[in-house]
Amino acid sequence: MSRFRPTFFIPLIAFLGLAIIGGLALQGTLSGSRNPNQLPSVLIGKPAPDVPLPLLQDSQAELALDAYRGQPLLVNFFASWCAPCRAEAPALEHLSNQISIIGIAYKDRPQDTQKFLQQYGNPFVAIGRDDDGRAGMAWGVYGVPETYLIDPSGQIKWRHAGPLTRDVITSQLMQKLAEMQ
Amino acid sequence: MGLTEFGHFALISAFVLSLIQSVVPLIGTARHNMQLMLVGPAAAISAAVACVIAFGALVTSFIRSDFSVALVANHSHSAKPLIYKISGTWGNHEGSLLLWILILVIYGAVLAISGRTMPALLKARILAVQGMITSGFLAFSLFTSNPFTRLANAPIDGKGLNPILQDPGLAIHPPMLYLGYVGLSIAFAFAVAGLIGGDVDRLWAKWMRPWIMAAWCALTLGIALGSWWAYYELGWGGWWFWDPVENASLMPWLAATALLHSAIVVEKRGQLKSWTVLLAILAFSLSLVGTFIVRSGLLTSVHSFASDPARGVFILGILLVAVGIPLLLYAWRGPQLMSVADFNLKSREGALIANNMLLVVATAIVLLGTFYPLGLEMITGARITVGPPYFDATFNPVMGILVVIMVIGPVMAWRRGATPRAKTTLLAASVLAIIAGVIGVALLQDIAIGAVGAIMLIAWLAIGIATDIWTQLKPLQRGGLAARWHRLPTEVLGMWIAHFGIVVFLLGATGDVLFRSEQVVRAKPGEVVTIAGRDVTLVRVFERQGPNFQALTAELEYKDAASGKFIARLMPEKRVYTAERQTTTEAAIRPRLGGDDYAVLGDGDDRIGYSLRLYYKPLISWIWGGGALMAAGGLVAMIGRRRQSAVTAPLPNSVARDTA
Repeated sequence: MSRFRPTFFIPLIAFLGLAIIGGLALQGTLSGSRNPNQLPSVLIGKPAPDVPLPLLQDSQAELALDAYRGQPLLVNFFASWCAPCRAEAPALEHLSNQISIIGIAYKDRPQDTQKFLQQYGNPFVAIGRDDDGRAGMAWGVYGVPETYLIDPSGQIKWRHAGPLTRDVITSQLMQKLAEMQ
Repeated sequence: MGLTEFGHFALISAFVLSLIQSVVPLIGTARHNMQLMLVGPAAAISAAVACVIAFGALVTSFIRSDFSVALVANHSHSAKPLIYKISGTWGNHEGSLLLWILILVIYGAVLAISGRTMPALLKARILAVQGMITSGFLAFSLFTSNPFTRLANAPIDGKGLNPILQDPGLAIHPPMLYLGYVGLSIAFAFAVAGLIGGDVDRLWAKWMRPWIMAAWCALTLGIALGSWWAYYELGWGGWWFWDPVENASLMPWLAATALLHSAIVVEKRGQLKSWTVLLAILAFSLSLVGTFIVRSGLLTSVHSFASDPARGVFILGILLVAVGIPLLLYAWRGPQLMSVADFNLKSREGALIANNMLLVVATAIVLLGTFYPLGLEMITGARITVGPPYFDATFNPVMGILVVIMVIGPVMAWRRGATPRAKTTLLAASVLAIIAGVIGVALLQDIAIGAVGAIMLIAWLAIGIATDIWTQLKPLQRGGLAARWHRLPTEVLGMWIAHFGIVVFLLGATGDVLFRSEQVVRAKPGEVVTIAGRDVTLVRVFERQGPNFQALTAELEYKDAASGKFIARLMPEKRVYTAERQTTTEAAIRPRLGGDDYAVLGDGDDRIGYSLRLYYKPLISWIWGGGALMAAGGLVAMIGRRRQSAVTAPLPNSVARDTA
């Protein structure tokens, strides 16, 4: 009867841990104490990571972010396998009239990326290939889609994880852009 | 009293009955009072009848388009075809919850009626646990998600059902999936009853296994149907997207597959008892998590979950009780179920343990990949995906190793060592796997390493199964073929069919990845596109009026590029559903065993041309054929068990019970 075994408590403890996290997330969302759409990034205010990436169109050439210094710049991580990226495509297309956007194809196959661009439009001034996700690691991306705003001096000013919606663009991105000018 | 009120009353009665069902039999087992224990089956059957009435009342409101019922007004429309009025009943949160409960109580009633020779104490406890689950969900339905709420002012017409859900595949997909999810509740009830009574033994496993098989078959079919639906309805040409909603059904399936195999060890050998109990709890917990994540778009939009605090808190409460208490019970009583391992790792048991470990790891991989983005979404409201690269790199290799074990396990002997047929089987399988791999590399240029692995695995498994069948049935042994066939346990036959289903599935998945072709073009009427040896002519694009939608239809003519022979006429559509103001794409598919022609119509007009997506998908239908074979294998094993146990005496309970 008294064969007490600590290992048999592991499932219970693991479950309670998950439940507490879930409960906190639920409570935070309910009470509104969590500010949605804000994800901390340690890179805010720091120079954009310099990871050399081959260009999608020409794998011999490298994507050089420095070439775009002197103007605000958006860097958008996307992939052909990512459904929210499809949803985001029209917003990017619209934005590309106002600001240069660099695309980084995250863990994607070049031919799939090409097809994706054919289908959903290409709003990018240049596209880097991050086949193995090393650049994503350096930038600290949570997943795709994810977008970074770089100021004319090459510093990261803002980041957004998830698709850019009309709301995010007007309430956050446009403000940050206005602050820069 | 209106029909709706009558349904509501029936639901309340079911709630009271299942409360009785959860308490009275337990008192009976404590006092060894047979009369009290027999209240369990009576209450279970009555609760089922009450729920059938309640569900019938709701379906009737949907058929009659009674828009004074809030649920009907919000989710139906008078212009909808009858079948979608009926399926509209479970195309929403409240109705699908009621369907879930209906299946739950029907399982309970079947358990109450069947199993007359089942140990009385075990049966009473199982029905009590089943009653507790039922009361929890009936309370959830009655207090937070009442499907029978009336509207003060009935609207003239309803708001309709999401047009993407107006589809025969989706009309039967949720009931099938629920049959699987909810079926696992019986295994769960067995586990909890076993923990309460401490009587987890071979007999316990013998009674539990058919329920696991039934649930597993339904879940397999449900997932296959869902994948098939996504393939032809979403118009992306894919069949599995690693979408959280899909993963939510895959996780219980993986856990149930592990449970299916570990329960064999309990029945045949009386080992792995506490592990099997834990798996049964895990499998049902995952199906609870799965149902509630899918329910009312929790995953697609966390905000609808949060917008109704009562509902969210209730779900968390149910999960906490339904998972937490059994796990507490497991921590307390589980150690008593431990037995000294009397087998070598190189044995049938060892292979089944490896199977279980791999499936649990695979479940954990899917869990992590699903909840990491969900957790992020809950915190930030942003929707991101970790996507196929994560799963390709983690899930696929684990399942690959599992396929390797699938040939080794069946030719091992119980307790220790291998059977005499192991040598032949493993040798034949390895030689042919290597040959297949070499041929693959030789024939296909720049083939990915994963694809070579898949080809080798297919050969390995197919030859492994074939040799296993051959060595067990070959006519050199004594007795005629018919006699040996007759001696063969039906369960083994079921296993062969189910495992062969994996071969067929893998062939479909690999064929699609290796040989598919895709064309995305903009074409004007009269233009010809060539894909996979076919000349496709866009003949014309025209508008047509459906019962409750307007469609833009393209007429595509497929001809053989070499001979010019007519192959087929495909008509992909874009539909606008007027009541819902929603647009859907209806892919046109010509499914054949060798491969599917698949066409999707995009935007455009006659002047600039229309965007067309054309695919050729070789062997793709084998994916679902494989799923159907797996389910058929499970069914054969289940029916065979019933037939065999009817002619043989009950299994002697040779394993000594652990005494408290």
